[in-house]
Amino acid sequence: MTAPASTDIKPHSPTQLVRLVAGREVSTRIRDKGFLISSAVLIVLIIGLMVFQVIIGGGESTSRIGLVGGDQAVEQVLQQQGRALDTEVTVVQLADEDAARTAVAEEDVEAALLDPTGSRPELLVQTAGGSAEDLVQSALAALSVADQLSEAGVQLDPAPEVDVVALEGAEDDRSQATIVALLGVGLLYFLFILFGQFVAQGVVEEKSSRVVELLLATMRPWQLLAGKIIGLGALGLLQTAVIAVVGVAGALAFDVIDLPGQLIGTVLNVLAWFVIGYAFYAAVFAVAASLVSRQEDLGSVLTPTTILLVVGFVIALQAAQDPGSTLATVTSYVPGLSPMVMPVRQAAGEAAWWEVGLAVLLMVLAIAVIVRIGGRIYAGALLRTGGRLKLREALAAEKA
Amino acid sequence: MLEFDGLYKAYGSNQVLEGVSFAVAPGQMFGFCGSNGAGKTTTMRIAMGLARADAGEVRWSGRPVDEIVRRRIGYMPEERGLYPKMKVGEQLSYFARLHGLDARAAGRAAEHWAERLGLGERRGDRVEKLSLGNQQRVQLAAALVSEPDVLILDEPFSGLDPVGVDSLAEALLEQCRRGVPVVFSSHQLDLVERLCDAVGILARGKIVASGTVDELRSAATGRQLRVVAPDAPNGWAAAVPGVRVVSEQRGDTVLELAPGADDQQVLAAALATGRVAHFAWREPTLVELFRHAVTDTREVAA
Repeated sequence: MTAPASTDIKPHSPTQLVRLVAGREVSTRIRDKGFLISSAVLIVLIIGLMVFQVIIGGGESTSRIGLVGGDQAVEQVLQQQGRALDTEVTVVQLADEDAARTAVAEEDVEAALLDPTGSRPELLVQTAGGSAEDLVQSALAALSVADQLSEAGVQLDPAPEVDVVALEGAEDDRSQATIVALLGVGLLYFLFILFGQFVAQGVVEEKSSRVVELLLATMRPWQLLAGKIIGLGALGLLQTAVIAVVGVAGALAFDVIDLPGQLIGTVLNVLAWFVIGYAFYAAVFAVAASLVSRQEDLGSVLTPTTILLVVGFVIALQAAQDPGSTLATVTSYVPGLSPMVMPVRQAAGEAAWWEVGLAVLLMVLAIAVIVRIGGRIYAGALLRTGGRLKLREALAAEKA
Repeated sequence: MLEFDGLYKAYGSNQVLEGVSFAVAPGQMFGFCGSNGAGKTTTMRIAMGLARADAGEVRWSGRPVDEIVRRRIGYMPEERGLYPKMKVGEQLSYFARLHGLDARAAGRAAEHWAERLGLGERRGDRVEKLSLGNQQRVQLAAALVSEPDVLILDEPFSGLDPVGVDSLAEALLEQCRRGVPVVFSSHQLDLVERLCDAVGILARGKIVASGTVDELRSAATGRQLRVVAPDAPNGWAAAVPGVRVVSEQRGDTVLELAPGADDQQVLAAALATGRVAHFAWREPTLVELFRHAVTDTREVAA
C-alpha cells in the first residue's frame, strides 16, 4: 500500500475554500467588460447629474437689472437686497429710457429701473410678476427709509448680529439629506439588480457548464454559495464606496450641496444598507437561479424577486415625499423592502433608532432563514440538470 | 487499496445499485464496464460525494472516503465541466488550489500539466475557444493537476480520436506506475482489455464479473479449443472423451473440453486425420465475456 507522498499538500479549511471561491469571483468579474462598462456609466452618470445641478442652479440665482439714473447707493442696495434673496444681482447702467426699453425687450436685462431716486420711479419688465419686482421694490423701500431717517437726523447704530441656535436640523438640510438618501436608494436598487444578476448568472454558468460537479467534489454547496456571494458582495461594496466617494467629492467640488455631517451620515447609512440588502437579494437570486440550467430560463425564476425590488423602489420614491405615511412606516420594517424605504425615512428624520434596529433585526432574521432553507434548495438543485426544478423537488433531492 | 463495499442506491422506486463491491489496488488500472444505465456513474458519484449511498461505503487505505480524502482524488465527471470563459492556465491553477495546493505550487502544476498534455500554447486561451478534443485534455489536466493519490474517471476516452486515446492512455499508465489506483469506466471494451489489469462488469446493480481479464476468461466460458485440420472428416473429434463439438465447418472445429479432458488426446486425434494447420486455446474477447456476463447474470463469476 504505497500511496504517493503528498507532503506539501494540506487540505483547506472551509474558510480557505470560501476565500478561494470569492477570489475567483472577484478576479473574473473585475476583468469582465460588462462590469467595467456599467461601473464607468454609473460614475459618468453621477458626475453628469452634478454638472447638470450646477448649470440649473447657476441659471436661477443671477439676475441682471438695468438702471437709468440713480447713484452708487442704489446699485449697492440692489445687490444687498439680491444677496438676501439668494440672487446675485448685476447692475447695468443704461443711458436713457429708450435704451432701457430696448434692453428689456432684447432680454439683455430682466428689468430696468427708471429714476430710482425721484418721486415716481418706474420699473420696466417684459411681463409683470417676476422676481425682479420684489427685489427692486424692497430695495427702494430700504433706500427710502434710510434717506428719510438721515433727513430727520437719526443716527443709526449698526444692527446687532443674530446668533442662530438650531433646535432641530434645518428643514433645508433635511430635504437635502432626503434627496441624497433617495439618490442612494436609486443606486442600491440598481446595484441589487446588477449584482443579483451577477450571482444568478454565475450559478447558472456553473450549472450549465457542469463544472459544478468538479467543484462539489472538493467542497460543500454552502461553501460555494458563500464564496460566490461574499466575493461579488465585496466587489459590490467596493463599487458602491467608489461611487459614494466620487459623489461626495464631486458634490463638494461643484458646490452642489453644503455638506453638513448629516449628509455623510446618510451616505454611510446607505452603504450599510447595501450590505444587508445585498446579502438578502444575492441569496434569493442564487437560490432561484439554481433551479434552472440555462441562462435563457433565468428571467422566469428571477422575476418575482425583481418585482419586490421595483415595489421597494417605488415606495421609497413615495416615502421621500411623505416620510411619515403609514405605507412608508410599515414597509420600512418588511424584509426586502426595508433596505430601500428605511434609509429615506432615516434621512428625513422620521425613524427612531429602535425602529431602525427592528428593521435590521427582521432583515437579519430573514437572511438567516433564506440561507438555511435556500442553502438546502441550492444543494439539491445543483446537480439536477434539465428543465426547471420545482422548489419541492430541489428540497427532496437534497436528501438524496 | 480503494474499496467499494456493498453500495446500495435507489432513486425513488428505481433501485440502481444493489450491493456493488470491488477493490482496486495501488498502481492498478481498473476498467469499469456495464451497459448504459447500469449504475457506473452513480457508483463514481457516490465515491466523490455527489450522491449519497443508501448503504455501503467507499474506503481508501482502510479509511472511509470523506472530504479530506476526496481532495486527494482526481475526478473527471461524465458530463464534462469547465468554466467556459476562464483561461486554461488560470482554470487549472484554480482547480489545483481547490485541491489544496498553495498559489505558487498550483501555478507550477498548471504550467506543467498544460505542457505535458500538449496545451502549452493554449494556456492563455479561454476554454470555450478550444476544440472539443483540447477541452477534453484540459478536463484531464484538471483531474491530474493536483497530483492526486487516486484517479476516478467517468468515460475519459469518449469523444477522443485514436491519437488522443493513445496520449490519454499513456498519461494514465504513467499514473499507475506512480502507484496511483486508476478507475475508469468505458464502453470501448477493446481499450479496457488492452489497458486494464482488472475489470469489473456491472449489470443490474451488481458486479457480475470482476478480476483480471485472464481470470474472467478462464472462469466465464469454460475452455474452448480451436483446431483447423483441413482434411478431417466431420465428427472426427466426437469420439475423444470429455469433448463437446461447439461448431464444425470444413475442417475448422471449435471444441469445448470438460475439466480433466486431455488436449493432447485431441491433438493426436486431429493428427490422425492428416495435416493440422491450427491448434490453440481460443481466447474469448472481452466483448464476448461482457455479453455473456450481462445477458446471464445467474452465472456470477469470481
